Amino acid sequence: MKRRLVLILFWLIAIDQAVPFLLERLERRHYEGTSAFRFENSDLFALGPLVQYLRDHPQHAHRRVVFFGNSMLFGYFLKPEEAVPAQLQKLQPDARVYNAAVNGQELGTSYLVAKDIIDSVDVLYVQIVGAHANPLLPSLIPVEDSDLRRFDLDAPKRVETRMESWLGRVWHLYADNYRLQAALFGTSTRVFVYMHKKDPLNALRLAHPREAWPAIQGEVSLRAPRKPGRVSDWNEQLRIKNDLAALARAHHKRVVFLEFEWTNNATDGEDAAFNAAYAPYAETIIVHVPPALTFDGQHLVPASSAAVAAALAKHEAAP
Amino acid sequence: MIFTELRFVALFLGCWISFYLVPRKYRPAVLTFWGAAFYLVYAGPFSAVVLALALLTFFRRMSWIAAIATVALLAYFKLSLLVPLGFSYLAFELLHVILERRRGGIESVSLGDLLAFVFFAPARIAGPIKRYPQFVAAVRDAEPSSENVYAGLLRILFGLSKKFFLADILSQTLAESAWVASTMHAWVIVFAYSLQIWLDFSAYSDIAIGLGRTLGIVLPENFRAPYLAKNIREFWERWHITLSQWVRDYVFTPAGRWLFGTRLRRLPIAIAVISYLLTFTIVGAWHGLTPGFLLWGVYHGALLSLYHVVRVKTPGWIADHPWYDSRAVRLAGVAFTFLCVTIGWVPFMLPLPKAARMLALMFGIHR
Repeated sequence: MKRRLVLILFWLIAIDQAVPFLLERLERRHYEGTSAFRFENSDLFALGPLVQYLRDHPQHAHRRVVFFGNSMLFGYFLKPEEAVPAQLQKLQPDARVYNAAVNGQELGTSYLVAKDIIDSVDVLYVQIVGAHANPLLPSLIPVEDSDLRRFDLDAPKRVETRMESWLGRVWHLYADNYRLQAALFGTSTRVFVYMHKKDPLNALRLAHPREAWPAIQGEVSLRAPRKPGRVSDWNEQLRIKNDLAALARAHHKRVVFLEFEWTNNATDGEDAAFNAAYAPYAETIIVHVPPALTFDGQHLVPASSAAVAAALAKHEAAP
Repeated sequence: MIFTELRFVALFLGCWISFYLVPRKYRPAVLTFWGAAFYLVYAGPFSAVVLALALLTFFRRMSWIAAIATVALLAYFKLSLLVPLGFSYLAFELLHVILERRRGGIESVSLGDLLAFVFFAPARIAGPIKRYPQFVAAVRDAEPSSENVYAGLLRILFGLSKKFFLADILSQTLAESAWVASTMHAWVIVFAYSLQIWLDFSAYSDIAIGLGRTLGIVLPENFRAPYLAKNIREFWERWHITLSQWVRDYVFTPAGRWLFGTRLRRLPIAIAVISYLLTFTIVGAWHGLTPGFLLWGVYHGALLSLYHVVRVKTPGWIADHPWYDSRAVRLAGVAFTFLCVTIGWVPFMLPLPKAARMLALMFGIHR
């Protein structure tokens, strides 16, 4: 029995030595590849590994663009390559576009993640929605104590975190298992297996022709805020927006806030003043999407996704 | 999962090393020390309540106070739906000691052994529910040898694999109950839950038993292939065994004995039915004082009562027929029992209105 225990220990150590090399290869393929980047499942699991990767690799050959938002930008019911970020990637082949949108993600989460990766990215597209930060965030990414208080988040268990850090220094597999799972599957292994449980069965069947999306009527458009006004921070959403713009300006990066508009009657004097105050580092763009271009009044169909991406690309290219 | 937290692993490693190094007579003190440390880390001030209950249980004259306090605390925590670390298990273990001392089943209790019994960390998270005499004997005979360490580690690995590779994947299916709309889908979710709850719960037991085994302490088994039971009574001999044995010894048998002293003496079937219903209402309440858990308990009480009636009323010529014990009938029994148990999980896994909708969908009566 003692021999078996020693043998198990030996194998664990031997396998562990290969983990950093394996992780490097898998992450390079996953995060720097050419295929559309989106979390496999619209949950937070892979957000932590993405943040860690970007923080560990601030140098990059291609311009990095990251999208934050909710299911609309994630591309609810769409394939990864049909969502807005992937459509923009097609139009800007020099950029690597990361779709870091997650169902229910609000501005607080986007702000905290942006703070962590601001030095590793070039452009951030942030959907203006809500102001909360996800309570699971402190267990996934570094969050400052002041932000824990600001967003009413629970601090991670300090002792546990410290012990994990100690053990992670000597046991690579322990330290990197989340990153390995995210790089391999784009989500946790269990969710990946659950999501793909029918794949073997489907592979045996003849491919089903996909149902066509309904033809769309109407036109997606972008516009700058119309009425002049003054910069305000009368609510938490505006405070976060101002803080994120200030962060982008301090780091010489660009952040584009996307306000989706379903009717054309927004009063947007504050946005105009905001754009004037933070140009060229931060800008608010109002995206008008007629409900007829969605499949449920809110979520985009592939054609309207492409139209939004085209409008964004055109806007960026404009002098 | 507490078992995989490094704080727990560090505490257990400390416990194992001290347990290995100290002379045998100090081993209960080692288990008490590390168990108390575990309680302090995970339950904070509640540790003082556990210590107080243990001391009240130790002093025979005070033990009735311990019994009342334990039951009252258990009811309070179950009503507030916030049960401190493993208190459901601790409560039944303390009540066992108190009741057995009154009955004479436990003649003497040493404070050191009792504290080790109460604070023993591996079994405090999800059972098994220990018995004092067996635990004391197991600690006395414990041998943390390489054979036991190896066997214990294998059992822990088995439990972790069950939890992470099977139960956690199956648990994803439960989320589908939010948008279930067809009969087939409803059955898939409920069958997935049926397997998931068994794999998950038995995985916790495997890990607890494995941890005990690394110390050389043999803990009681809690599951024995429950879904292979041929009838509902056998199911309860295989499912959460330590809980079913506890309620058999301290609720079912005493209730039956008491009822036998009443006018119901002439109606043994009525005595059995009442005892089953009472026992399994308590089992449901032990899981939580919510309508769903209570309904689940009553359902199992009703199934056991029905099985008892059918068994008693089955004519001899049928029971003695070779076909009655054939492989086909046994297989049908296994399938039927699994089906009944699976249907019973619906109020266990969902709040009552959603459970009602799920059952309606399963049986095609949802509009």
